[in-house]
Formats: sequence, C-alpha cells, structure tokens
Amino acid sequence: MQAPAVTLEECSKRFGERLALRKATLAVEPGETVVLLGPNGAGKSTLLRLAAGLLRPTAGRALIDGTPAVDAPRALRARMAYAGHASQLYRGLTARENLALHARLHGRDLELDRLLADVGLADRADERIDGFSRGMLQRLALARATGHDPALLLLDEPASGLDADGRALLDRALLDGRDRRTQLVASHDADLPQRLGARAIRLDAGRLA
Amino acid sequence: MIGPALALARVKLVLELRRREVVFAMLLFVAATIVIVHFALRADAGAGERAAAGMLWAAIVFTAVLGLLRSFAAEAEAGALDALLLAPVDRASIWLGTALAQFGFLVAVEVVAVPVWWLLFFQEGGPDPVPLIAALVLADVGIALVGTLAAALALGARTRDVLLPVLVLPLVIPIVLAGVTATYAAFGEEGGGFGPIGPLGFLALYDLVFLALAWGTSEHLLGD
Repeated sequence: MQAPAVTLEECSKRFGERLALRKATLAVEPGETVVLLGPNGAGKSTLLRLAAGLLRPTAGRALIDGTPAVDAPRALRARMAYAGHASQLYRGLTARENLALHARLHGRDLELDRLLADVGLADRADERIDGFSRGMLQRLALARATGHDPALLLLDEPASGLDADGRALLDRALLDGRDRRTQLVASHDADLPQRLGARAIRLDAGRLA
Repeated sequence: MIGPALALARVKLVLELRRREVVFAMLLFVAATIVIVHFALRADAGAGERAAAGMLWAAIVFTAVLGLLRSFAAEAEAGALDALLLAPVDRASIWLGTALAQFGFLVAVEVVAVPVWWLLFFQEGGPDPVPLIAALVLADVGIALVGTLAAALALGARTRDVLLPVLVLPLVIPIVLAGVTATYAAFGEEGGGFGPIGPLGFLALYDLVFLALAWGTSEHLLGD
C-alpha cells in the first residue's frame, strides 16, 4: 500500500489572540521526506499537530490522503505515527510496558525486545521510565513511533536531548524510512535535510517560506 | 473496543498501585468526612438513620469528584493522550477504560469507607447489606460513566478543576436521590412502595441511559 500524502491548504491556526500558523500551504508527496526548519515559536509544532489531526484548523484544511486529518479513520491512524515534544509515554510504567500498551492499542504483536535493543534500551527494559533521562525518553518515543512501521511518520524535534549515538540512531531510522514512508520532521538541525537527502522547508513567524 | 478499554483500565490501575496518588487521597477524604459528620451529628446508634444514609451518599459523591479530577492526569503528564487519540481504536474505548478504572477506585474506597461508616453510626443493627451493596455498585457505575464523560469534556479547559465539579454534581443528583432512597429501604423504611427494587431499577436505568449517551458522544468529545 502506498504511503499517504500530507496536504495543507491555506491552513491557519489561532490560539486566542495569537496566530500560530498563517495560511500555510504544503504538499508532502507519498514516500517523501520533508524537514521543517525554523526558530522557536515559528509554528513547526502547530503545523505537525494539524497534520497529525490533533488540532483542528481555524481556517483552511489539513489532509492526509485527501481525508481531513482530524477525522482520520482508524485504518488511517493505524498507518501513522506522531512523536511530539512530550514523550507521550506513561511515566509510571516500564519501557517494556509502554511499548506493550502501544502494541495492544495497535492490535499488533510487536517484538518488544528487538525494538528496545534497536534504540539501545535493552538493559533498561524493565525499569520504570520516571527515572529516564530526556535522551532515553526520546529513544523510547522513537521506538514507539516507528515500532508498528507506520507509512506516515510525523516527528517534532526528535533529536532534542539525544546524545551523538542517539542522533545517529535517529538518522538511521529516518534514512531507513526514506522512500518507504512519508516523513515530516520538525528540526533545528539545518544539516538534517542534506543528511537525509530530504526537501527542506522554512517556517518563520507562522508563515511558510 | 472492549480489549483496548481493558488494557487502558489495567494501565491506570497498575499506575495507581505503584503511585498510590488517587485512591489514597480519596480514602483520606471519605474517612475524614464520615468521622467529622459523625461527631457533628453526635449520632447515636439507630437514631440518625436518615442522616447517616444521606451523609454516606454525599461523602461518596464528593470523594468520586476528587478521583475524577485525576482521571486523565497520567495522560496529561507526558502527552500520552495524543498517543491514545492517534491509536487505531474506537475513541470511546479511551473513555470506557478510564471509566472502568474510576469504577475500580470507587469500589476500593467503599470497601474501606462503608465499614467505617457502619461502625460509627450503627453499633447495633444497621441496614440490610444486600440492597445497600447493590445500590453502591450501580451508583459507582453511573458516577464513573458520567464523571469520566464530564472529565473528558473539561479536559481542554484551563479551569477544569472548577468546571468538572460544576458539570458532574448536577448530573449525579439522581444517583444520590436513588441511592439514599435505596438505603432508607434497606433500613426497612419506604422505598417508593417497592422496597429497594424501585431505586435500584432507577439506578440501573440511569447507568444504561448514560452508557449509551456517553458511548455516542465520547468519540467527538475526546476527538476535539
């Protein structure tokens, strides 16, 4: 099955008085990797949350394969993943329990040991993640996001808190997914598009350049 | 839908067993309420059955609100609600799983609170335990269903700690009325002419109506 396309049509999002995103128009082709660059507060996270269907646009449309993202049916949600600033993990559970819940919700029988080993957390698998560092949480969030092999991957500053090994791991995961899945990644790393051979798009003060 | 709901409820119960944040606070609150009201009323054995029944139900409802305020706390902590919303499950299962956990918390609290209430107010005698327990279980189901729906509705509000009780308390007034009536009937007093059957039937009907209502609306409430 082809990876889904992500389309934003004149998409705006307002939070109270603040317009976080202004009439953004963007087309990410199926199987394409796009890196979203821009300073803090540029609207990258808002754009990603709109694309994921976690926010409803104030104006315009955010579509996944032609379907409004906020109304994405279960079959489409099964093929996508989003990792944001927060880890989206349960702090009181272990790393393995978090991935097991993810597998259960996706109705998949995932190889949890392999997933944990892939992100370098095999020896911390049965520890509660309350004590995990930011980088370890990012690794686990990456395992959660990629574990079910989504066809659409939306990542918001996934390198935040990662050490050099973690960043290399992230690059490998994104390179591995290139052409196979649609990837939209928000980042401060200006070199990332070149490393991934990806299209770069700049966002500044809520406007796409 | 049931499988994901049970998985989520299990997670919430496991978290509570490890952290003891919700049930412990609920237990302290309900025990304090029962003890304070007992001394405030200076209840003698058998003398204040109506007052005792009323205060039990009031204590349970306010204690439930305390638990409901924390019903989505684990998800809010690290954005886990986003992961749940994007999971390929019926969003009603998020509400149902949370409601099941709330039901479990309420039952755990009542297992301690009701014997304390009984000991303080009824050194001799007391109500027939069967209709009382049936009323409590049916009421817990209703409070969990309605309360979790209200908690989902208040989730995005900045003032949710204030909004949630304002939403929940009017909705659970019928539960309190039916619960108190069932408890009177358990003392052998009037229960609408049918003993405890009438109020118990009302509680069961309330649960079914709100189960259907919440099931139908939770997809939109949680989705937005």
